[in-house]
Parts: sequence; C-alpha cells; structure tokens
Amino acid sequence: MRVKVASSYLSRRRKLLEPYLYLLPGICLLIVFMIYPIAKGVFTSFCHYKLNDPNTYFSGLHNYRVVLSEPEFRLVLSNSLWWVLGSITFQFTLGLILAVLLNRPFWGRGLYQAVVLAPWAVPGFLIGLIWKWLFNGQYGVINDLLLRLRLIEKPISFLAMPSTALQSVIVANIWYGIPFFAIMILAALQSIPTEIYDAADVDGAGPITKFFRITLPYIRPTILVTILLRVIWILNYADIIYVMTKGGPLNSSDTLASYIIHKAYTVLDFGQASALGVIFMLILLAYTVTYLTLTKFSRAGEL
Amino acid sequence: MRRRSTPVLALKVALLGAYFVVMAFPIVWIVLTSIKPTPEIITFPVQYLPRHVTFDHYYRVWRSTNFPAYFKNSMIVSLASAVATTALALFGGYSLARFRFRGKQPTLVLFLITQMIPVVVIIVPLYMVFASLKLIDTLWSLVIVYTVLNIPFCTLLVRGFVDTIPSTLEEAAMVDGATRPQAIVRIILPVVLPGVVATYVFAFIGAWNELFFSVMFLNSEAVKTVPVGINTFIGKYNISWGMMTASAVIALIPSLVTFGIIQKYLIQGLTAGSVKA
Repeated sequence: MRVKVASSYLSRRRKLLEPYLYLLPGICLLIVFMIYPIAKGVFTSFCHYKLNDPNTYFSGLHNYRVVLSEPEFRLVLSNSLWWVLGSITFQFTLGLILAVLLNRPFWGRGLYQAVVLAPWAVPGFLIGLIWKWLFNGQYGVINDLLLRLRLIEKPISFLAMPSTALQSVIVANIWYGIPFFAIMILAALQSIPTEIYDAADVDGAGPITKFFRITLPYIRPTILVTILLRVIWILNYADIIYVMTKGGPLNSSDTLASYIIHKAYTVLDFGQASALGVIFMLILLAYTVTYLTLTKFSRAGEL
Repeated sequence: MRRRSTPVLALKVALLGAYFVVMAFPIVWIVLTSIKPTPEIITFPVQYLPRHVTFDHYYRVWRSTNFPAYFKNSMIVSLASAVATTALALFGGYSLARFRFRGKQPTLVLFLITQMIPVVVIIVPLYMVFASLKLIDTLWSLVIVYTVLNIPFCTLLVRGFVDTIPSTLEEAAMVDGATRPQAIVRIILPVVLPGVVATYVFAFIGAWNELFFSVMFLNSEAVKTVPVGINTFIGKYNISWGMMTASAVIALIPSLVTFGIIQKYLIQGLTAGSVKA
C-alpha cells in the first residue's frame, strides 16, 4: 500500500515536471545565447571597449554621448524610416493583390505560385548580389531598359550616388518581401470558411462588398500581426544593404542596423556598437507599444 | 457558378503576367548572365540572350576558388542546426500544445520577445561569448546561433500543428504501455509530418541564408560558408560578374529546391497554424 502511494507520488511529480522537461533544452539555449548576450550588450554599452585597444574600462554614458552627437546618427535614423516605410507599404499592397489573385484556382496555379513566391526562399546576400548586378551603372539591365523606354538619357550609377542608393536598396527589398506577404495573406484567405461567401451570394453581395465586408475583416488579425512583426524584421534586416552598398556612399543608404554592423565590424568599437544597439531596442520597444495601443490589438501575445 | 465579366478576367490575366515577369526576371537574369561568355556580359546596350552558351564560369568557380569548401561548410551548418532546431521544436511545441502548466504564458512571451530582438544587437556580445568559449572561427558557433535564432518560431509552428490533432491519439498509445516520448515520436511525428517537414525546411533556409554572424565569426578560408565566401568575391577585382553570378546560381539551388518541395505544405501549414494564431 505504502509503496503504491510512493510510486504514484513519484509519477505525479514526473507528470508535473514533464512539460518543463520538453521545453528546457530550448529555453536554456535561449537564455545562454540570447538573453545573457543582451544583458552583456547593455553592460558593454557603458564601457570603453574597442577590439583594437587592450584597455577596457567603465565609461558611463560616454558612448551614448558620442553616437548621439555624430551627424551620421540623424541621417541613419531618417534612412531607417524611409527604408521601413517604403518597403512595407509596397510589400504589403503588392503582396495583398498577389494573394487575392492566387486565392482562386486557375490552370497551372501550382507552378505559377512556385515561381512568383520563390524569392521568399532566396538568401538575402544573393538578393543583394542579384540587384547589385541589375542596378550596375555600366552594364546593368535596369539602365538598359530605362534607356530603351527613353525614361533616362544616359546610364545612372544607381548605387554609387547618394541620391539614388537608398531608393535602389528599397526597390530590391520590396521585390524580396512581396512573396512573404502573399504567403501569409494567402494562408489567412484560405482559412476563411467558404460558407460565409455562399451566404453573402444569397444576400446578393457583389465582389467589392464581399472583399471589404468579409475578406478584409476576416484577415485583419493576420494582417496586423504580420505588419507588426515585419516592420521590426525590416528594421533589423541589413543583408541586402550590406551587399549592395555597404551603407554608402557617405552613409546615404545606411540604416540603424547596417550602421551598427559598420561600427562593430569595420570601426571595431564594440562599446559604441552596443550603445547604438540599446538605442535601437528602445526604439523598437516604443514602436511595439505604440502599434499595439493604436491598433488595440492586445491579442498579439497569443501568436 | 459565378459569372465573370471579360474586363475583370483580362485585368486578372494582365496582373498575373506582370507579377510573373517581375518576380521571375531577376533570377532568370543571373542564370542568363552566368552562361554567357564574358564579352557578352560586359557590353552595353545589354546583350539579352546569350549568343554562345558557356559553362566556363561554373567550371572556374568550382576549380579555381574555394567555393566547394564554402558550399560544404554551409551544408554542414544548415543541416546540423535544422535537425537540432526541429528536434527541440517538436518536443517544445508538443509541450506547449498539450500541457497546461505554470510558466507557460511567460514562455510564450519570451519566445515573442526574442523574435523582436535585432540580430545586430546580439552580434557583438555573442562574439565575446563565443570568443571566451574558444568557438570563434569554428562552424560550431554558427550551428549554435542558428539553432537559437530559429527555436522560438519553429516551436510555435509545431505547437500549431500539434493543436490540430486530437490528444486521444497518443493517449491510446500510452494506455498500451508506451512512454510519452515514445508516443510523440511514433504517433505524433508521423501525423504532423508535413508540418515538421515545413519546420525543418524553415530552419534550414534560415541557416542557409544568414549573412552577418558568418561574416563576423568566421575568418579562416577552411571554415568559411557560402555567404562569407561570396562576400569576399565581391571585394576581389579578379573575380568577374560571370563567376559571381555562377556562384550565386549554385548557392540558390538548395534554397529553391527545398522551397519547390515544400511550398504547397507551407501555405497549408500556415493555414492550419493561423486558425490558432
């Protein structure tokens, strides 16, 4: 009798621990290689820490004062804003239209879908390389097309001029992001029960009414969460910029993310890079809180 | 049957055509560039279709550069981290789907927050962590980082899939004497296989595509992965656009092949998951 109680107690304890055991390895990895580094990064932002200087010491707010007073900082902030606004607006609109087009079956849809959505899987460094070649100032096909259409009179060095570098990397990024939005929205569209449309047909609703009264409200949660996460993702994303322009010329296509890479990898100033990182995280936090408040979308936490 | 007016149909066809051209052209273009002899690449106005088809650039990339080694290293890193991520996500996702326990909500919040952390923010401190573990300039550092980066999303993905199947399935197996881990591997895994495959591919593509950690962590030629390798190509003057596009096409193959296989599952999988989300 007693043995039985003991063993049932043991098995109950095991049962209680079970959910944690399955999650533990992943969470441990996250804590050691993500949460701890973030804390370390915050600490480093208050230190004089240069890879090419053996002296490391606590320097208070010095890094913050330096990076905030540099003229590049304001340029990089406004570049980041254009980068994210330009990218998300066109990615979303063009992705939505594509998703709606793909939602109904047509002959050859499977193959068509595989082709137009393929850029989603293309590595960012290759997107950068591909578009660097398309935008090439000497032999680039975009120059050739614009000349043939008589939109320009002589080839433009898109990536070598401060006035066009940022726009060029944004164009590449829009192309890259359309499939992502199409995939997410298409998945949401296909989860709408068809009975709702049948009911609307019975009530005599037209296609436009149905789109705005049924489709959009139904996919609204997906759209809001996708945009929230995607804006953050685009802000963080610098692969394309790094490969196409390295942020140049004269920081004209540098965003906060690519600027931090520059500080860490080229300037080798880990302290300043970390200070910029902390500022970056604060900006993202402010954005997330504002977005969630404005859209009143508190359910995002359930994703 | 719903009637469609001709202008709507025409608009639809025109739009589908436009998307097709715009989305496919850049990729077609690097393929075309890679099979042209150099004089046809560096010419303006542009020579659109190759007059002479050549595989010389591919041959030279494979023979006279370290590209084969880069490719092998990328494969090792991506396969290893994708396997690790999927295994951890399977058990973690199962746990989140099936159990109610204290700390579940904080775990979900932790996962969501990690999705918002800028990669560039953790690069510097992670460099210091790996330096103290003597893992800088090794493939291990990348395997660990990519696994960590993909765990949150992949775990939530698997949770969505497990949610769609009734728990009576593995309970029946457990009544018959199987332990829960056995039930997960033998009963749950086969049922959610399409979802697990999607998760695996997601983790693989994520690892295959990553640039900055590899650029930051790897220095020696022997351990360089494809992104670092191609990035060094860009800086070298003796490497032509022909060779660069040829290496780009080779690097594209694993991504496009896996995408071609799973793209059907992907949307089904996300549809199943998004009901929950």
